[in-house]
Amino acid sequence: MRIKSILYAAVAVAALTGAARADILIGTAGPTTNAEALFGTTWQNGMELAVRQANAAGGVHGQKLVLVRDDDGGDPKQGTLIAQKHCDEAGMLAVVANFNSGVTIPSSDVYNRCGMPQVTNASNPKVTKAGYKNLFRPIANDLSQGAAPADYALAKLGAKKAAVVHDKQAFGQGVAEVFRENFTKGGGTITSFSGIAQTDVDFSALLSSIRAENPDVVYFGGVMPAVGLFVKQARELGIKATFFAADSAFTPDFIAGAGPASEGTVVSFQAPPYDSSPALQKFATDYKAAFGEDPGPYSAYGYVEATIIIEAMKKAPTPLTRAGIVTEIAKSDFDGLVGHVAFTPAGELQKPFLFLYAVKGGKFALVQ
Amino acid sequence: MGALILQQTINALTVGSIYALIALGYTMVYGVLRLINFAHSELFTAGAFIGLALAGALGIAGHPTGGLLVGLITFVLVGLAGVSVEIVAYRPLRGTSRLAPMLSALGMAVVIQNAVMLIGGRRPMIYPSFLPSGVIDVFGAVVSYKQITIFLVAVVLMIGLELFVNRTNLGVRIRAVAENAETASLVGINPNMAISLIFFIGPGLGAVAGILYSSFYGVATFTMGFVIGMKAFTAAILGGIGSIPGAVLGGFLLGAIETFGTAWMPVLTGGVIGTEYRDIFAFSVLVLILLFRPAGLLGEHVSEETRVYKSDF
Amino acid sequence: MALVPVLALIAGQFLPAYPLRILDMILLYAILGLGLNIIVGYAGLLDLGYVAFYAIGAYSWALLASGQFDIHLPFALVLLIGASLAGLAGILLGIPVLRLRGDYLAIVTLGFGEIIRVLMNNLDGVTNGPQGIARIDEAHLFGWTLSTPEDFLYLLVAMLVVVFLFVWRIQESALGTALSAVREDQDAARGCGIDTTRVKLVAFALSAFIGGGCGVVFAAMQRFVSPESFTFWESLIIVLVIVIGGLGNPFGALLGATLLILIPELLRAYADYRLLLYGMALVIIILARPRGIISRAFGPSWLMRRLGGGKC
Repeated sequence: MRIKSILYAAVAVAALTGAARADILIGTAGPTTNAEALFGTTWQNGMELAVRQANAAGGVHGQKLVLVRDDDGGDPKQGTLIAQKHCDEAGMLAVVANFNSGVTIPSSDVYNRCGMPQVTNASNPKVTKAGYKNLFRPIANDLSQGAAPADYALAKLGAKKAAVVHDKQAFGQGVAEVFRENFTKGGGTITSFSGIAQTDVDFSALLSSIRAENPDVVYFGGVMPAVGLFVKQARELGIKATFFAADSAFTPDFIAGAGPASEGTVVSFQAPPYDSSPALQKFATDYKAAFGEDPGPYSAYGYVEATIIIEAMKKAPTPLTRAGIVTEIAKSDFDGLVGHVAFTPAGELQKPFLFLYAVKGGKFALVQ
Repeated sequence: MGALILQQTINALTVGSIYALIALGYTMVYGVLRLINFAHSELFTAGAFIGLALAGALGIAGHPTGGLLVGLITFVLVGLAGVSVEIVAYRPLRGTSRLAPMLSALGMAVVIQNAVMLIGGRRPMIYPSFLPSGVIDVFGAVVSYKQITIFLVAVVLMIGLELFVNRTNLGVRIRAVAENAETASLVGINPNMAISLIFFIGPGLGAVAGILYSSFYGVATFTMGFVIGMKAFTAAILGGIGSIPGAVLGGFLLGAIETFGTAWMPVLTGGVIGTEYRDIFAFSVLVLILLFRPAGLLGEHVSEETRVYKSDF
Repeated sequence: MALVPVLALIAGQFLPAYPLRILDMILLYAILGLGLNIIVGYAGLLDLGYVAFYAIGAYSWALLASGQFDIHLPFALVLLIGASLAGLAGILLGIPVLRLRGDYLAIVTLGFGEIIRVLMNNLDGVTNGPQGIARIDEAHLFGWTLSTPEDFLYLLVAMLVVVFLFVWRIQESALGTALSAVREDQDAARGCGIDTTRVKLVAFALSAFIGGGCGVVFAAMQRFVSPESFTFWESLIIVLVIVIGGLGNPFGALLGATLLILIPELLRAYADYRLLLYGMALVIIILARPRGIISRAFGPSWLMRRLGGGKC
């Protein structure tokens, strides 16, 4: 009896989610609760903006687009459940999923099985290793994210010694390892390579040790708010080195959080500054109008990722199919909000865009 | 080397003060109800957020004197929230099974955390410092006024609590109920009143810890309570759960283990055990201590054998 | 219970993949619940680090059937290895800690769970650390490839039936009697000549063994493992499964798993409020049924008596 009621409930779920709708559905899954809630939410808001603008311009082939937003909580198990839900939904023709590499790797197996066009924001190099033809990554992966700062530190700053710290998460450790490799290859010395717990807020013990090593640069592979706290506490302890941080520090919150200590910190980021082009300025204004707050660090990516799908849908033959959209995404060739979008056969950007900024006078200024 | 040891000691005292303040809430509740109050850590977070909102509303962000006022109001508000949580989610379960209130507390933790997220926002909040700024140099170690303030506030609160529990009429009632609720009610002490008082003081102290913590690190996030709470709870066990001095000792000890462990383990082991093991130093020490002193450092070895154990679940 | 395999066959044929995947998760957590029930429900020892055994099983499959060390062992063998390793870990942990009582045991097991997770996160050379192990082999069982949610449904149903019968037999056996004696009054049990430490150790090992087996299946389903799947929260979910369903009752684990997996999925439409509502639902269920939805007394034996079958 109980099993039956489970089945009824399950059928009810299926019926609800599988209901026929005339609209074109685009799915997305990312962490909108738990520690990374801010990133996931503002990232999805970026997509929402792209979808709204497309609808305002008449939709795709006369049909309205609907963004179905799901919360995977950064949990691989939930990621695969949602992926299956997306796959089963006949009207869902493409997804932007997922935000985390650890969720994207298992979910891509599921999406691949139903031929779903999947555009991901996960930056770990392993994500595209399976060779799935339906998976695309329109952002620079961790390899370039760690390499560029290492070259900059060696060539432009003449650094000899670097201390590397990471947060023991897939992203943070990934970029930190690439930095270490490139810095050593370029003739530099790594004085220490340490991991911290992601949830740490007190780095005084570690920083006291780093101060004794007296490095020229300190590379921090991790995300906000840890990176802000780290830089702030380091300066309070009197560490003079130049700090390097990965993309998630590219937010006004970093400067506000670290205060004057943030001055001079070099941050790598996959997009040019919001005030660097009229398109980005307009995006920031539109975003604020739509959601009542400034865009988050990944909002522009979300916008670009949804745009890639929408552009492909416009070109794909009607009636739209998942396979047709995959073919068109692979042929993407346009100037997106942050740079030129065109993919390699492996689903990576042909020319990954990566910019280095330094904090000057409480603002990010482009240095490379 | 001497300066480095001094520096680490100061860092340890700062972290330890915060752990100790939170640990008090766990230990007091446990002492009376034998309940692991999972919601406590989320009330700590709520305290930080309420403090921030108050500072904004009263227009006194960043002033040490304003901080005192904010701390006081937050203490009362979060204390009342603690009392309500107990009445709604734990009291109806008294006398059922010991697991039920613990899991109800877990449910409340999820509720409070998400309520903070929905009201306070997902963005890490840049926290104004209510603490005086500036640093002084003590024999080569950098000591900030913030660290000194945190330590002093914590010590004053802990002494105050100790005096309250031991020297006042209300305090005696709390101890009586903790000792034996049935006997206490025979001599006319209303256990509910004592329990409500505990649920007022514990979360209130936790909320102050939340403000201190966020002021010190300059940031508040809605998820910060979980890990800090786990550590503070570990501190409470370490010291001997149910014992107020034990919680204080446990808090400072945990701060020291983590700080010195993080600083020296990588050196001692040639980098094999790095700073990333920080979170398990505490647990490893805890396991060891419990194996040799099963009731914690200052825990009394009461008739736990029969009292705690019999048909717990 | 006999109806379950039949219903599962029907479900496997007719349900779409998403509900099937949910059903898989429910069954997996039900089996975990049955395993944890031995230690919590029957022996009365609170284990807050059960996820450690689950993780040991999951990493066994990830390491013994992937490109990580280029070892590719068959699924059935790894299922046995993973479960046994977990059982062994249970014994090794149990020997020193089982003399602790009540909540101190709970805290030490919690610590053990965290230690295992941090080790998996930090032993980069073995486990790939936070990056996790990807592209794990597909599971093959006697020539049958396990890849779709439907395949796993059949596997999990088979496992559920086996574990269910096993747990039920334990309950009816001399070990079960000894366990309930330990739960009710340890000192009296010792007085009656029960070797309480050994009884507890056996319970701990059996429970860990089942947890490890579940881990192997989980890794085979996801074909990816990383430390974030084995947090303290997972341990708590499994405790919730059995407490909400009804401690010491195998049917309870099934019902508890159904509620705990289904509720958050059904709440997906509420987006931002989902977890808030989930938390509230948990509190309400516990307030309404503090001793679990199905009481200990209404277990399989009761059902058999009602059906006139007597003990089997």
